[in-house]
Amino acid sequence: MRDGVLRDAGIATLVLAGFLAVTLGGFGSAGLLDFAIRFATFGLLALSLNLLIGTTGLVSFGHAAYFAMGAYAFGLLMQRAGLSIPLAILLALGCTALLALVVGALCVRLSEIYFAFLTLAFQMLLHSVILSWISLTGGDQGLMGGIPKPPFLGIDLSRPLHLAGFGMACLLVSTVALRQVVRSPFGAALRMLRDNPDRAAFVGLSVYRYRLAAFVIAGTFAGLGGVLMSLYVSGAFPTFAFWTTSGEAIFMIMLGGVTVFLGPLVGVAIFLILNDRITAVTEHHGLFLGIILLVIVLGLRKGLLDFVVDHWRARRGASP
Amino acid sequence: MSKTNATTVGRRALLGGTAALAGFPNIGFTQPRQPIKVGVPTILSGRVAQLGLSSRNAMQIEVDRFNASGGLDGRPIELVVRDSRGVPAEAARLAREMISGEGCEFLLDAEPSSGGFAIHEVVRETGTVTLHVNSETSSLTADPRQRFWNAFRVARQGIHDSIAGGAYAAEIAKARNLRRWMTVSPDYAYGRDTTAEFVEYVKNFHSEIQITGETWPRLFQADYTENITRLSQGRPQAVYSCLWAGDLVTFVEQASIFGLFQQSQFFAVNMADYTTLQQVRNLPAGVHSGNRYLRNFPDVPENQEFAAEYNRRFNTFPTNWSWQAATSVRLLGTALRQAGGTDPRAVAGKLKGMTIDSPFGVGGKLTMRAEDQTLVDYAIGWGVTIAQDPYIQRMTPADWAVIYRLEAEWKRSKGWT
Repeated sequence: MRDGVLRDAGIATLVLAGFLAVTLGGFGSAGLLDFAIRFATFGLLALSLNLLIGTTGLVSFGHAAYFAMGAYAFGLLMQRAGLSIPLAILLALGCTALLALVVGALCVRLSEIYFAFLTLAFQMLLHSVILSWISLTGGDQGLMGGIPKPPFLGIDLSRPLHLAGFGMACLLVSTVALRQVVRSPFGAALRMLRDNPDRAAFVGLSVYRYRLAAFVIAGTFAGLGGVLMSLYVSGAFPTFAFWTTSGEAIFMIMLGGVTVFLGPLVGVAIFLILNDRITAVTEHHGLFLGIILLVIVLGLRKGLLDFVVDHWRARRGASP
Repeated sequence: MSKTNATTVGRRALLGGTAALAGFPNIGFTQPRQPIKVGVPTILSGRVAQLGLSSRNAMQIEVDRFNASGGLDGRPIELVVRDSRGVPAEAARLAREMISGEGCEFLLDAEPSSGGFAIHEVVRETGTVTLHVNSETSSLTADPRQRFWNAFRVARQGIHDSIAGGAYAAEIAKARNLRRWMTVSPDYAYGRDTTAEFVEYVKNFHSEIQITGETWPRLFQADYTENITRLSQGRPQAVYSCLWAGDLVTFVEQASIFGLFQQSQFFAVNMADYTTLQQVRNLPAGVHSGNRYLRNFPDVPENQEFAAEYNRRFNTFPTNWSWQAATSVRLLGTALRQAGGTDPRAVAGKLKGMTIDSPFGVGGKLTMRAEDQTLVDYAIGWGVTIAQDPYIQRMTPADWAVIYRLEAEWKRSKGWT
């Protein structure tokens, strides 16, 4: 277990060092920095959602609620309280965890379609609150006026280079942390709940508590994704809490793969690259994106990384 | 003889080629001038695709004119138009990508207010000279916290329309003794803010007016029976609405069936736009409307020509977004020529306080007001509908002196001056 942590942390450090070497060495274009920020943002959203879908077997349709909560809480704290960025992030994550705790306490007793639709209902409730509470949230126009970004520890997040590095660092630290959650006895218990909740209950596990804990952890990491998004667009908008954002996160996971831990990150990369390239060449991007994604999903019948890993295992198994 | 000529040409070509290789490309051959790339994030798909399409069309007309007249010392403007699908975060991403990835030196932001504010924050950081073309939310330029050197608004704005509408409606109300009013407006920030401002100003001009009821349909609602029933039961003498585009078309068609327009005078600020006027089957006569875009208001030949050319090229008529988009290109082109280059500070400096000739302005002029970097002196007026082309008659122009005075008071009341 401890070796696993050190190995994952080592790999994450190498990836971050590689990214910083490329960008600081002058090879990183502005487009790469933009991509890195968005990759980190949606990576956190998809990876955290997969803790529920892939590991715990809970398909949440309302995960964007915590993404939006993180974005709005951070934006409001920075605009109104004038806090330092690290403190505001911690408080925003605290608010998101609290929301996930309240919603999760009501949802995780249910399973399958009832769980999915109740999470969706709570997300749309949050969306309606954001639209209606105009004095606080700015309503449909979103949090306006920009988000102050005072430098801390030599990091100036108003510079795209620093924001990209900070975003990638957040993503990598979160990836290592989530990996440990999945590999820990707690993670093993979640998988048991996914495969056979009755058996888990018989061996003495509290299905409710384990599911709730997973729900809160996933929500909190999605909140960190929301914080990065609000830093990127210098605001927060009701679309963050709309069902389409949750839908996109599920789609990214389906594209990359549900069963392999890093699958969602591969899905995020594919989705963003396709979105950016297609938007640049045609106005009918919805049609083209849909067709390409349909071909991938129907052709592979599973996520890309699931397909690659299965193929690799089959070949290894077949070799003498 | 021929041999001598061949030798001469060969030497020249050799000299030219050497010069080109040495870094003097213009000596060797004529090279096309680098275009000035201008990014246009907007909405080209979905229910409000007309916003982006009619903005882009009008921009293209003006860009073609600018390029045909020599561009900026031979450099043409090239528009880079992208669809944000109405998602503010996507609008911000596109804006960043246009600036950093596609080499756009200027932005003409043709997003509605939500995307406009997202782009506003991007260009606050990047320092790209940006003209907001379609955001009518007054605070974008009126609130000093939103203001910075490189952002301008080339659009009508809510507070101007509300003052002009309030003054016109109050005159009609006094003449016909209309005291009991109701409102029907879309339930989101624009609808609520614009209605509140209209009510404030119509009461300001005629204190006896009372709002006896209000009803708030959702955006993109399909069935207005509930709202029309409330209006019918309230029996108001006049009804105000800031519904727009497809929503207004649907509402007017359904309200006609219920006879609402025989019962009450109807004031619809967004009626006089061809996308609405031509869409309504059996347009009711006598509806009061503010002008969005009309080819006969201002009734000058250049305005008629603009509409005719637009119609010839795109087989439809311009919208309110079109005149604003065309104006943004004309302002930017004029500023580029006056600055003699694309230096952002120089271009922004020229834009600030600039007055241009325009068929869309009062007296043929439009001004980019220096103090808050927003467009003023554009044609605002109200008239009444008739069933056939030109659809609106008896246009009454608004008094800009009154608008300036009340706008200044409004800003003071908000603590913005």
